[in-house]
Order: sequence, then C-alpha cells, then structure tokens
Amino acid sequence: MNAQLTRYDRWMQQTMNRRAAAPLYATAGRRRVLVVGHIALTAAYVAAFLAALLDASIVAACLLVALLLPWCLATGAINSSTRGLLELRRRALDERQRAERSEVLARAHRITTGLLFATVAAVGGYRLAGGNLEAVALPALLGILVVHWLMPMWVAGLRAQDEPDDE
Amino acid sequence: MSEQVHNRLAMVRAERKVSRQSLAEAVGAHYQTIGYIERGQYNPSLDLALKIAEYFGLPVEALFSLKPFRPLTDEAYGRNQ
Repeated sequence: MNAQLTRYDRWMQQTMNRRAAAPLYATAGRRRVLVVGHIALTAAYVAAFLAALLDASIVAACLLVALLLPWCLATGAINSSTRGLLELRRRALDERQRAERSEVLARAHRITTGLLFATVAAVGGYRLAGGNLEAVALPALLGILVVHWLMPMWVAGLRAQDEPDDE
Repeated sequence: MSEQVHNRLAMVRAERKVSRQSLAEAVGAHYQTIGYIERGQYNPSLDLALKIAEYFGLPVEALFSLKPFRPLTDEAYGRNQ
C-alpha cells in the first residue's frame, strides 16, 4: 500500500474494514444470499422507477422510497465483505487487492458483454417479430446500464473469501 | 501461470508471536493478504516477500520456496527422509 494516503483515504479504509456487519457475510452461503438479495432489490427498484416514470404511479414512487434503505444497506454489506475492493482508491489497496480488483473488473466486463449481446439480440428479435421498439427501449437500456454499473460489485461479493481463522 | 510457492509464514509468525495485523502493517499489506499467503491462495510479489523476510530477519528462502518445505523437526534433528 502506498504511504501517501489522504485523510479521506484513511477514513474510507477504516469504514470499509469495520466488522460491524461481519455476521452478514461470514460464509460463502451468506454472501451468495446477500448478492442474490441485492440483485432482487435492484430489479424491484428499477421496475418501480420505470413504473413511477412511465405510468406516474404513486404506489411505485412510494415503493422507490421504501426500497432505498434496504438497497443501501445491502450495498454497504457487499462492499464491506470485499473490504472496499471497488470503493477504495488504488493507492489504498495492497498488491493482492489490486490484482483481485483487476480480476473482478475483467470478469464483470466479460459477463456484461455477454448480456449486452443477449439484450441486442432480444430487442432485435422483438422488433423483427413486429413488436413496438419504443415500449422496450427504455427498460432495456436502463436495465443493462444498471447491470453494467453493479456487476463488478456482485462479482466481487461472490468472489470474497472467508476471514482467516482467529489467531 | 500459477506456480505454487510454498511458505512457512504461519509457523514463523506463530513462533515469533506476531499477529497478522502487526505483520501486515509492518510490510504495508492488508491483514487478509497475510492470511491468503499463509493458506497458499496468493503468491506474494518479490517485493512483498523480501519485506516479510526482512521483517523477520530471515533470508527469503527460509520463508518461501518453490519446493515443499521439509518438516522442521527433520531439519533440526537431521533425518534424511
């Protein structure tokens, strides 16, 4: 780790290394549940956002507010399980963490590329079948944007390892 | 390319009564990285291996090797097998 850490870097490092939520991600099984839960919350959030935007639904707007806190807590727990692998600046990571971050980003990129191809094929197929492209363009674009944004965190959460045994 | 590097870090650290956290702070690494090295899940760079060896005042080959280490009792009492 580089010694030239700012006060913000040190604060972030301490925040990301807090053990308060450790029981939530202590085992591989719990981390999988956490990531799957986060994916479900994200899907619900995007659906609520689209409903609020396109249908001006008050229920959807309320759902957006209600989902925000659990989504933030789940995001924080995943970031904590990775010790801030994606949140800390590069200079605040050691050599193994830097290598792991590169691996996570590479895997997330491969998965997202596959999903982008699948989305283009699905939307193209829908259009060829006579579907209304306008109706699916925004949900598809927003969906793939959110997946692209969050995939590294999901991959990092699934790749996180158990804590070493107590000394 | 993932050549397995064997190490005696856990043993030496326990013998010297050094915690992972202290060692990590001394060599500028995360304490989890020390655990990863001890479990053979991460091979340290030459830079980090040398820093760890320097911290313990040992030659790097006393801590890291490409071949499995012989049990210490065999080395101490001269058993060949």
